[in-house]
Amino acid sequence: MTFLDYLSQEWVELVILGRISFLIVLYAVLAATAVSVLVGIALYTNRFTPESWSRTARKGSQDTLLVASALALTVPSLALFGLLQKWVGLGATITIAALVIYGIYPILRNVVAGLNAVDPAVLEAAKGVGMGAVRRMIRVQLPLAWPVILSGLRVATLILIAIHVVGGAFGTPGYPDLLVDGLAGYGTPGGLYAVVSAVIGCVVIALVFELVFLLVKRLTTPRGIRV
Amino acid sequence: MSEAVDSVSVDEGRGGGPRTMISLQQVSKTYPKAEAPAVRELTMDVPEGDIVMLIGPSGCGKTTTLKMMNRLIEPTGGRIVLDGDDVTDVNADELRRRIGYVIQQVGLFPHLTIAANIAVVPKMLGWDRNRTAKRVDELLHLVGMEPGQYRDRYPRQLSGGQAQRVGVARGLAADPPLMLMDEPFGAIDPITRERLQDEFAGLQQQVRKTICFVTHDLTEAVKLGDKIAVFGPGGTLEQYDTPDEVLTRPANEFVAEFVGSGAAVRRLSLLELARLELDEVVISTGGAPAGNHPVVALDDAGRPERWLSVPGTDQPPPLVTVPLTGTVYDAVDVMLDAGVPLVAVVDGDGESRGALRWQTLIGDLRAKRRRP
Ligand SMILES: Nc1ncnc2c1ncn2[C@@H]1O[C@H](COP(=O)(O)OP(=O)(O)OP(=O)(O)O)[C@@H](O)[C@H]1O
Ligand SMILES: [Mg+2]
Repeated sequence: MTFLDYLSQEWVELVILGRISFLIVLYAVLAATAVSVLVGIALYTNRFTPESWSRTARKGSQDTLLVASALALTVPSLALFGLLQKWVGLGATITIAALVIYGIYPILRNVVAGLNAVDPAVLEAAKGVGMGAVRRMIRVQLPLAWPVILSGLRVATLILIAIHVVGGAFGTPGYPDLLVDGLAGYGTPGGLYAVVSAVIGCVVIALVFELVFLLVKRLTTPRGIRV
Repeated sequence: MSEAVDSVSVDEGRGGGPRTMISLQQVSKTYPKAEAPAVRELTMDVPEGDIVMLIGPSGCGKTTTLKMMNRLIEPTGGRIVLDGDDVTDVNADELRRRIGYVIQQVGLFPHLTIAANIAVVPKMLGWDRNRTAKRVDELLHLVGMEPGQYRDRYPRQLSGGQAQRVGVARGLAADPPLMLMDEPFGAIDPITRERLQDEFAGLQQQVRKTICFVTHDLTEAVKLGDKIAVFGPGGTLEQYDTPDEVLTRPANEFVAEFVGSGAAVRRLSLLELARLELDEVVISTGGAPAGNHPVVALDDAGRPERWLSVPGTDQPPPLVTVPLTGTVYDAVDVMLDAGVPLVAVVDGDGESRGALRWQTLIGDLRAKRRRP
């Protein structure tokens, strides 16, 4: 059996698995985005430090917290999955949980960077016309930071696609499962083909996400700030 | 020539004095960790419909003062009364919707169209679509931009001068009684700036807002201001009076120094020809003696054509004219340009209303007094 034979035989199954993988990554990215935007706004507005602190101390603590959230990325994935197993059990959940943790930093970083990059004059004008803090955030700051946030999302997605296959060792369906099966039967042609298919599948998922992001970017970037 | 020439006076012709639009009472601001206050016990009443120009050296608290008026900066002492209401403790966001605010960096919202930028405050105030759209077009017209052409553009598609026009329109959108402007034309090239100033003066003729206007530029202050507030170092108000008073009678050494040596020339642009007692001109009726007055010959339309005789000259100089609506500055400009010792002042129909002579300018103009 050649690889092409394998593909023509298995492609329906591969698409179904791919859909599962795609959704796992998608859910994780969405959850990580929600968390990152909320935490990012809090970080940006310095909600984590008392107002009595000096400006430099507050800026410093903002940077420190950001670096701290980067540490999550350095935890070896196997170790993180292993730890999570205790709380969330096996299956798709554990992978989504781990991916959210890995996804937060790249997105959070860009949320804070995007908000910091908003022109102070625009903010002053927003205050000057009588926009309150919430309105300012929703109507002015987030829309202007959005392109930067979106590029954080893209990077996060690519990282998460690569990491999600680790979940195969913890009973996660989709390409993770396929990969683990393939590795188990690596000596046989079927095993090798499964591994290669999982890798190609991940690339395809990445391409699909890129297309989605292209579309989202097109649809959600305000025309006035499109480059 | 009589001395009954008045200077520009703001209080003139109003029964019982103008109403106060915004009143600062002993207002102070000390920034956290600063040793000295940035603004010190400032007391100042801004009359309704006037433009007050805040001027002074850098760091003397002009911006701080302006931002305390809409509470972008909270005063650390004193009270602020807007149109009779004490606004020192009211909700700052609602207060700001009642006060127009224009800054040097403009700060248009880059992701919104020009129309949406102007409509920000009306939208927050809950105006309906129709009323808002009408208002946007009206304002674009007012600031000299064709609504059809600019309404749907984005800020990055505008020049600096156009952006600031939109900034002014945004400040005016909800028809606030008070406008605060912080060096609105400060970042614009000199030629455009002058045009914007002229347009702005014309616009103010129509809208009659009370305006507090921070500037670095004394010429701008003199040109646009009904009153000038000169700030000194340490956030103190050194003098608060009409441009003419500030230029001719500085309250102290500091103001005198600040106003500087150009004061006499700057003052020329404050003196409107219409308010001067002009030199008499005799219209030639065929060789009648003219005494000490210049004699002019008219053309068929009754407009001055040429000088027949000018006292103190053997050969009458070429005739140049300046409109009655101009200032002494314009008259001097014309005289220097043509190299002549006098200029005929003409009204809208081109008919002679008198003349301004160089001799009078350097002699008697100093002695002019306020109308009692
Ligand atoms: N946010 C701030 N925190 C601390 N000090 C400030 C702050 N803003 C202004 N100051 C200080 O207050 C003083 C007055 O500043 P302000 O901006 O009002 O001056 P200004 O008259 O507008 O100057 P310029 O003509 O340069 O714009 C300055 O000494 C300045 O350093
Ligand atoms: Mg300033």
